[in-house]
Order: sequence, then C-alpha cells, then structure tokens
Amino acid sequence: MNDLIPIRFRLNGIDRKAAVEPNQVLADLLRDDLGQTDVRVSCDQGVCGVCSVLVDGVPVTACLTPAFRADGCEIVTAKGLASGSDALSDVQRAFVDVSAFQCGFCTPGMVISATALLAAHPAPDRATIVGWLGANVCRCTGYQMIIEAIELAAARRAETLHVRIGEPAD
Amino acid sequence: MADDRRPNRWPADGARRDALDKVSGEGPYTGDTRLPGMLEARVLRSPHAHAMIRAIDTTAARALPGVHLVATGADLGLLKRITFGNWVHDQPVLATDRVRYEGDMVAAVVAVDEATAFRALEAIRVDYQPLPPLMDIDAALAPDAADMFGVKHPNVHMKLGRGAETANEPRRNVLFDYSFTDGDVDAALATADRVFTDRFHFSRIAHFYMEPWICIADARANRAEVWTCNQDPFLLRQDLSEMFGLPEGHFRIRASYVGGGFGGKSYCKHEPLAVLLSMLAGQPVRLQFSLDESLLTLTQHAGELELTTGVMNDGTLVARRTAILLDGGAYADASAQVAVRAGYRAAGPYRWQAYDASASVIRTTTIPAGSYRGMGGTQASYASESQIDMIARRLGMDPLAFRHRNLIPAGVPFKTGDSAVDADFASGLDRVAADLRHQPAPAGAPVLRGKGFALGLKDGGSFGRLGKAAIKITTDGRVLVQCGAMEIGQGATTVISRLAADVLKVPVEWVRYAQVDTDTTPFDQGTHASCATALTGTAVYEAAMRVREQLLEIGAEELGCDISELDLAEWSIRRGSEILPLEPVIKRRYGRFGFEITGEGFIHHPKDPSAPHGAKHLYWMPHWVGVSLEVDTGTGMIRILDMVTGVDAGHAIHHGGVRGQDEGGTLVALAQSLFEEIAYTSDGAFATPTPLDYRVARAADLPGSYRSFILESGLGPGPMGAKGVGEAGMLGVAAAVANAIEDATGVRLTDMPFTPEKVLAALDAAGLTEPPAP
Repeated sequence: MNDLIPIRFRLNGIDRKAAVEPNQVLADLLRDDLGQTDVRVSCDQGVCGVCSVLVDGVPVTACLTPAFRADGCEIVTAKGLASGSDALSDVQRAFVDVSAFQCGFCTPGMVISATALLAAHPAPDRATIVGWLGANVCRCTGYQMIIEAIELAAARRAETLHVRIGEPAD
Repeated sequence: MADDRRPNRWPADGARRDALDKVSGEGPYTGDTRLPGMLEARVLRSPHAHAMIRAIDTTAARALPGVHLVATGADLGLLKRITFGNWVHDQPVLATDRVRYEGDMVAAVVAVDEATAFRALEAIRVDYQPLPPLMDIDAALAPDAADMFGVKHPNVHMKLGRGAETANEPRRNVLFDYSFTDGDVDAALATADRVFTDRFHFSRIAHFYMEPWICIADARANRAEVWTCNQDPFLLRQDLSEMFGLPEGHFRIRASYVGGGFGGKSYCKHEPLAVLLSMLAGQPVRLQFSLDESLLTLTQHAGELELTTGVMNDGTLVARRTAILLDGGAYADASAQVAVRAGYRAAGPYRWQAYDASASVIRTTTIPAGSYRGMGGTQASYASESQIDMIARRLGMDPLAFRHRNLIPAGVPFKTGDSAVDADFASGLDRVAADLRHQPAPAGAPVLRGKGFALGLKDGGSFGRLGKAAIKITTDGRVLVQCGAMEIGQGATTVISRLAADVLKVPVEWVRYAQVDTDTTPFDQGTHASCATALTGTAVYEAAMRVREQLLEIGAEELGCDISELDLAEWSIRRGSEILPLEPVIKRRYGRFGFEITGEGFIHHPKDPSAPHGAKHLYWMPHWVGVSLEVDTGTGMIRILDMVTGVDAGHAIHHGGVRGQDEGGTLVALAQSLFEEIAYTSDGAFATPTPLDYRVARAADLPGSYRSFILESGLGPGPMGAKGVGEAGMLGVAAAVANAIEDATGVRLTDMPFTPEKVLAALDAAGLTEPPAP
C-alpha cells in the first residue's frame, strides 16, 4: 500500500481537498472520485484528447497527468468553462451554433482545447487551429465544422472587443 | 404528399436538440451510470491468432483479495445457447476449447475495482497449443487450410426474393454465400463490343468510436437490467432472451447517448457476458473495454472484388458480373448482411441488360468483421466506380459523360421489382463537376495533378422494416416522444423533436426525446441502415398527427365548428384570427390536475417476394464526390488539393446535421483511401493494436479545401420527402481518389489504401519516377 498524497486544488472554481495514490491519474481522481463525468476517458494513453482539462490554463490530457500534479492548481473542465449565470461559455455557444459535434463524446475535450487556443491566439488563422486540433480526435464530424465554430467564437470576441472600444466613455 | 406536410420553414437551422447536453459535457453516456455495489469486470484475451486451449489455471487469480470470480468457457452453464452472431450463431461468450483471433476472449474477472481485476488477469495461466493462422482469404481457402470450426452452428436461413439465394456455412471456412441473378449475363456479355474484367482489393478499417465499448448489468433478482452503448436495444433483448432461455420481458435494456457507433455497436456484442457475470457474482457488474479492446471487437470487411463488365463502343453499358470475397474475420457478427448488400449494390447507379453477383464471406483468424457504415456499399462503390472510370478511359470517353449516358433516371426501379430511384444522380454529378477547383501543376514542380469523380450508392432504410413511436403531450403543451432510434450522434434527437414540434406547432424546445428503455419505448428493429429519419421519423410524424387530431377534435367541440376550420398554434386552437388557449380548455374538461393526450404512430413496409430482397428497399442514398489531387513523383505522397461532396437528403430537417454526416463520413473514407488500415504483420501479429499505431484522420488530414452540398430531391419516403444520409459519406471517396490518381499519372491503383509506398511502386513500374540522384 502506498502512502496517500494530500493535495488541495481548485476545481471549476471550488476549493477541493483529496488524498491521492502516487500512481493515480488526474482523470480517475476527477471522474471516479469527484464525480466529474464530463471528464471522459477514451484512449487512456494521451493520444485522443477526449479527457483534456485545463490545469492553470494549460490543456493537458487528464489520463496521463498524475493526480498529485493538481496540488495548488486551478483545474477547469468543460462544465467549468461557463461563468456567471450562463449555461455555456462563448466557445461552447459557438459549438452549439455551428452544430460542431455529433456523438458528443470528444466534445468536452474539444471545447477545452479550443478555449486554450483562443486564450493563446485570439485571432487564429486556420493553420493555427488545425495545429492545435492535432491534440484531439473526433471520429464523427470531419473537423471542418469544429474549425468553423472556433473561427466563429474568435470573430464574436473580436466583434465584442470592437463594440467595447467603440463605446463612448462615461 | 399533401401540402400541409410541408412546414413553413425550419428556424434558421438552429441548435441541435442534444446540443446543451453534449457541449456542456453533461451527457449522460452509459459509463456515467453507477450502481451501488457495482463490481468491475475485465477480460483476458488470446495473444494467438489461432490456438487450442489445453488448460486454464485460474487458481492464483481467484485467490487474490478483492476478486469475486473468474469465469472461463467452462462456466457458461447458465446459458442455453453460448454463441451469438447474426444469422449464424458462432461466437462463444468466452472461448471454450479454441481461440480464433488475437484478441479472442478467453476468461473474465470480476473484482472490487479495476486495478484488482487487472492484477487477476495477469495471474491467469493459459496453456495454448498454437495452430497455423489463416490470416487472409487465400490462406483460409487453401486446399490444406485447417477448418476453423469443424461444425455447423445454430443459424437462421436468410430468405430473400426474386433471383436472390443465400446459404449459411456452405463450405469449409466459408460463413455465407449470396447470389443474385437478374437476366442472362453470359448472353448479354456475348453481345457486348468490349468486355473488361478488373480486380480490386478493399482494405479494412476500425470503427474507432470514441466511447469505448461498455455495458453494465444488474442480473441479481428475477430480472436483468442492462445499461449499454448498443445501437439495437430490442435486438439485443431478443438475443439475451434466446441465449439465456428466459422471456424477453426478463431483460430491460436502457440506453444513454451513444458515443459513436458507425455500426460497431450494433447487434449483440458482449452484453451476454456482462449479464452472466452479474448472475454469477450476485451483484451489478460493469464490463468495460479500453479503446484498444474496442479495436479488437469488430472491423469493417476487407474484400477482393472482381467485376466483369460488357460495354458497347458507343459507351452503352450492357451487363456486369460481380464476384466478391469478403474477409469476415473469426466470427459471423453481421457479415451475411454485408455480403448481400455488397453483391447487390455493385451494380451501381446504372442501367444493365443483365446483372448477376456472388458474394461470399470467408472466415479468417482475424478480428471479426461486421456492420460498418456503408455496409457493403462502400466496398461495392469503390470497385464499381473505379471500373466505370477505367472503362471510360479505355474507350476514350470522358468519365463523367460515360456515367451520364448510363445513369438510372429518377422514377425507374433500381432493378426489376425493387423500389424506384428517388434521387437525381445526374444533377449531383453536374454539381461536383462544376464546383471542383482544379489547377494544372506548376511548371517544373515534381508533381502530377489530376481530378477524379465518383458516384457512390447504397440503398437506405433497409427493406421490409417497421417503425413505431409514441407521443404524449402534457396539459402545458410539453411533448415527450418515445421511439427506438438511438442517438448515436447522427442527430436522431433533433430530427425526431423537430418533426413532432412541427406537427404540433410548439417550439422545438418544448419537445423532449425520451431515453430509450425497452420496458417503455415502443419496439424498434435497431438503429441501422440510416433509418432514423425516413422510417422512425415517419412513425413519429404519424404519432404527432394522432395527437393533433385529438386536440383539434377538442377544439371543434369547444368552438362548435368543424375540424377543417381549425389549426394548432403555440399550444392553442386557432380558427382564423380566433385563438383558444389549450391549457384552460383541457383543465376545464378533465379537472384541475389536467390530462395527457397521447398518440401512436406505426409504419411497416410490406414484404414483396417479387423484389430481389423480399421487400423493396426504402430509398436510395447517393454520394457524389469530386477530388483534385497532386501526386509527388519523388515520394509517392498524395496531397488532396480540393474536394467536393454531396448527398441527397430528400428534405433536410437540419442542414447542419446533414452536412456533418457527409463531411464526417467523407473524412473517414478519405483516411481509409490514403493511410488508415487495420494491419497484421507477415507472421500474423496484430500490427495496429493501439491508437498510437492505428492512425485515424486528424484535422490536418482535411483536404486543402473542401465543400459539401445537400441536394433536396423531395423524393424520400420520410416526412416531407426526407430520407437518411448517415452512411453516404463513406461511399464515393476511395474510387474518386483512385480515379484522380489515374487522371494525374495514367497509373491505376486497385489496392487500398493508396499509400506513398504503393503509389511510388506503381509510378516506378510505369517509369514515371525520377531515378535517385547518384
């Protein structure tokens, strides 16, 4: 029996404590111990990106990330992307508007990657989007509608920014 | 069809009805279900392609703390029939005396948790006596090949219609034979100016659904509850009933969203093992496969296709003979249906004086092959559309003009006795030809460019099937629809909700599609063959119409007028400009607790022995493809520069949904054309066992540019002329790529996938490659 490692972290804005095995992965902690069912596991070897979550804003595959790495970190899953009273983040809303999903199993990981992408590149060109999506497999959509959803989210942010800048000062 | 069936318009496409559940991450999927006291089951798989099992020692595994039980082929006593499989029941729940592919299931462990289960699997000792593997069709049919089974299995004879015959297990290592004869092909070929025989190899791919296969069974008490990712809950219920010798009502199958299927989660899979383990353990059991194991569960069919086609010098097609051998892998699954459909569909969308086909499924010691999106139509379209192009070029004709000359027009039966073609094949061809962007290669670049087209085709909606649906509407106008179309990502929830909302004139947000539960959901024959819109959708439409009639009758009584004067609007009865809100009316009639109005819909397409398959095919599903590509003569690499594809939705109920079906299928088929493949090493080991080795398409594999289009012929059998498109995207791609390669290089590739190695070898043989610099 290994000694458990006590950790503290923030999960979708809530402070959490856990005691984890040294060989436990973040996906199992989030999904099995904490009931975070939006963290889904598919390939379980860091290839498909389905289990992606944000650790301090960086997208990682939770199936390969040791749970103890979460200590002191801010973890955000797909369910934690929306803020305030909104049910969805702007990225998620764009996925809805473009119907950029089918079976939905890969979608939480996709919106996590897309969120991180737009944080790093607010106005990504298509090559940048394609490059970032190399981390995620979708077997249903053929990716094109996902790419369009990301472009839509970026365009809307630019629009919002433009409107804010154009607003008269108080 | 009456005009009142046509809605004003759909809200500008709008959100899919399952959008919030999926984009938020909410789900649910089967794996989100947890039962109190649930144990974890995992399986031990054969490392050999073919071996006898001399002995299995489970002593050490059973002794591990936390292990509840270890089951092997010796523990199947609770089963009345230990095998499953469509038409031929040949796949044992666990191997009894022999393993027939690398990955065959040998033993199962039930333990308190996954880690314990894995430790127990490692502690099981199996003594195998390896046998010569039969890794492909040639090996299995060799005169000295071992007989993989040596016995005939319980089976059901597939009875078809005019000109079609089938046989189960007719010869050694042959699972199934199909033959179809429409006219005298020999006599017709004798009249042809030219006769061409060409052979094609179709490689196979995995389904690679992202949700690994999973089933939870709770079979403790006097009934068995099953939560599974299966596409066919009612078919599964029947299999469980037959295998356990218990009434169908003993089993309750419940479904959540299915995380991708593509045919790989159809029919009975490993649910009987989960139920058995739960019975033996006396506790709920979760049997979960990894994605690696899902790769070992089922594949598409590889195949060898030989087409002999006669043609007149003016480009008129005369007759065709098709001979197909499909690699069925170790066990039957749905191979028989694939053979039937491959053989029939290889006629393509063309007029023939005579056509005949034979298609056989050969058993090999490889992963079982079964249902796969396209269902034989992919193999058939690849061979047929390749050969059509080859013949056009041999005759010196333009491949598109050659096709146009021979297409079956809309309204003409596909074959005598079958349903009429309900798509305008010609207009789709014109569209891809017009939309494809193609530029000659830049001067001096070591590349060759070409363009190619194809018209893939399969029938859709199967034949002689039924659909059922039930709708109830609450006092406040909220609609619950129940039917057995599984939401596997294809958009069934959206289509079904929109159909009900449109008839009942309520916002689509008021409609909820109930989760499928065999205890309460109306019977359904399974989510296959792109049926959900055209077949189940019709039943939903009918059910909604029954509810609508009752509501209008209430309105007619209340207003003292004739029903014909009334319509529904926003949960009110409307007579001209007069509005009668329904909620107060219903409360006034039935009391303050209100009421639920219910309606049922049912459709059954009749048998017809004069049709080739014993009933007419429900509709026709074309896939138009145009490809512009570049071949690097130094490396053999193919780069897809531009691509256009199109489908006929009849009437698109959700454009985004239709588009996604085409584009998603197309990219899978493009990957299969260029690189994706289930592969074995020359000594018979599985060479692509993990997602690291098995490459599927990523975003970077998209063509340089790609556009899809939707034609709406309005000729489909579903509501408003709708029909399905779910499998179309697979159909035309491989042939279009091969045709474009020939257009670019003059070299014909017939062996999929068209990898750089094969391209380079073909270019070398044709003297088209630059010799390497000294």
